[in-house]
Amino acid sequence: MTDPSSTPPFAESIDGLMEALSRQQYVIERGLATAVFLALRLEKPLLIEGEPGCGKTEIAKALAAASGADLIRLQCYEGLDASASLYEWDYPRQLLEIRLHERDRTTAELETEIYAERFLLRRPLLRALEGSGGVRPVLLIDELDRADEEFEGLLLEVLSDFQVTIPELGTIRAQTIPLVILTSNRTRELGDAVKRRCLYAYIGYPNAEKEVEILRRRVPHLPEQFAREIASFVQRLRSQEDLAKRPGVAETLDWAAALLALGESSLRPGPVGETLGLLLKDAHDLETYRRDRLPTLLAAP
Amino acid sequence: MNEPPEPLSAGERFLARLQGFLDRLRDQGLRVGLGAGVDLGQAIGFLPSLDREAFRNACRATLAKSPEDLATVDRVFDEYWSALGRPAVPPASEEGKIPPASPRRRGSRPPTGRRRPPPVEVPSPAFEGSYSLRAPDPGVSLGLVSDIELRRNRIGARRFRRRIATLPGRSWRRAPTGPLDLRRTAGRSARTGGEWVELLHRDRARRRADLIVLWDVSGSMRDHTNTLFALVHAVHRAIRRTRVFAFGHAIEELTDLFEGQSYPRALTELAGRLAGTGGGTQIARCLEEFHRRSGSMLRPSTTVLIISDGWDLGEPGPLREVLRRIRRNVGRVVWLNPYAAERGFVPATGALRAALPFVDLMTSPGDFPYPHGGREMRSYRPRGPTPLAPRAEGSFIHRM
Repeated sequence: MTDPSSTPPFAESIDGLMEALSRQQYVIERGLATAVFLALRLEKPLLIEGEPGCGKTEIAKALAAASGADLIRLQCYEGLDASASLYEWDYPRQLLEIRLHERDRTTAELETEIYAERFLLRRPLLRALEGSGGVRPVLLIDELDRADEEFEGLLLEVLSDFQVTIPELGTIRAQTIPLVILTSNRTRELGDAVKRRCLYAYIGYPNAEKEVEILRRRVPHLPEQFAREIASFVQRLRSQEDLAKRPGVAETLDWAAALLALGESSLRPGPVGETLGLLLKDAHDLETYRRDRLPTLLAAP
Repeated sequence: MNEPPEPLSAGERFLARLQGFLDRLRDQGLRVGLGAGVDLGQAIGFLPSLDREAFRNACRATLAKSPEDLATVDRVFDEYWSALGRPAVPPASEEGKIPPASPRRRGSRPPTGRRRPPPVEVPSPAFEGSYSLRAPDPGVSLGLVSDIELRRNRIGARRFRRRIATLPGRSWRRAPTGPLDLRRTAGRSARTGGEWVELLHRDRARRRADLIVLWDVSGSMRDHTNTLFALVHAVHRAIRRTRVFAFGHAIEELTDLFEGQSYPRALTELAGRLAGTGGGTQIARCLEEFHRRSGSMLRPSTTVLIISDGWDLGEPGPLREVLRRIRRNVGRVVWLNPYAAERGFVPATGALRAALPFVDLMTSPGDFPYPHGGREMRSYRPRGPTPLAPRAEGSFIHRM
């Protein structure tokens, strides 16, 4: 177990956690807060799935900011492997070392020297395990569903034992267990082995009230009434069955900021049509709604 | 003389109830392992106050592993813990021992450990045997295919993935031949005192497959729904960049049905999506709609897999035209026909004859998992001349 002093003070209670995140302008529901609280207390990774743009990545950033910890982010992609995520030997420097000392060292001595930690290039997972200072770092493994299934296998040792084994150096264990947040957009099913090692939470689209609250906090100069109009419009848009891609909260925030930048204070057909591309990211959706459906959506109460 | 058993403490009674709750969840198909149960026990210890919502949230965080699991946890939670007045677990004080918490025993689990919902029946009017747009829905009788078939499909899907991933991608892989991998060679030379004894090579990893499945779910294909669904699920699982569209007299994307869904769950949802899709097929109209809406996703790296028997209500001309447009934009078009492996099969319907010039390969679901072997499907190269080659069994495979 980690030294209790490394657990951030706000993690003493769920309410404390919610307040701390609220100070970072992150609006969190109690269910998700409980999952984060338990991840902190049980020292288990937290897998967060949900719709794109609904705050999965943001929660890791908010947690790191609230605790003053480092946020170490590993963005997953197809082909991600150990050398990009865990560690790699600095081959050019090793070679240089060999050339420098080939006359005054034996081969055995050289072999020992070049596999020293100073030749180790630390990638995000290893950096998270080694930590820095007494505060638990936040390790964000973002969009794990983009990585290959083989990469999930690589993660297992890190997620369950918070250690990695480097053949030349031995096993490196975390002194301060990081708070690990994994996110997935569910473009594919993650393996059972990873899921079993994690607590789980799901972030869906927020209701209108919560979306207004998010708008108020993240776009501070937005008038209250305008925020309600925007949230209500986005909720109506999101409820359309035929959308190829529904707008997330991130899109709502961008749209609100754009309307504000254009000097708007209420929803008018012209500016809404011109900026609809910030909400709808599919060409067919954009064309259909801009051409045919916008008046109906705007007119709805 | 037997002594009366010691009454259980409050903590022991709670643990007994908790065990009953976990068993009830397992009965409902949730795979709650021992570790998850231990996590829940520890979580309860950490909760500052054990009110109902905090307890529910702890159950959700520790026991669920998907949104569907969350719904199950919520439902069972309400059923089980709301019945505290008449507990599902008999009061320990009455029995004097920890009661059997669940009517189901572990031994009654399916041998594979997989969740196996019962076959799903969608009631519908009787099938009249005609093919028209207004033909009544013959109903969907869905069931799971055997484990052997599932395994065969998965193997086939992986082989299919390898066959259609022919273009070099961005990332590099170690390879026996190809450009010299200076970095790894230098690294390896560290073992030999800096001498470059062994030269290592690298090559571009082949780009991942990019697949669009167009699945005919009309009345004439209903007999093959179970087999084809299992196959499509396996393909989607193997090839992440897969979009699945179902068509009959209209076209609808089903990709979300497969994303993150286990096979039994996806099958359960499929029943609801297929209700009302019976009747005849208008392949050309549906493909035109697909091309209009989703044409931007067609790229040279894309393989289009059409699954249909080719029984079409429309004229062959428009089908020929839309297939020509699709074929121009994609790497290859494969047509999976459930009847292609039957003795004496000839692609004689108007739709099939119209399609053949634009199809790189026509094969059957039975051949699909075996690109190697007796009934092989070997043609995943770029298109060349397109003769019709008679097969030994008398059926036709359209080869390149």
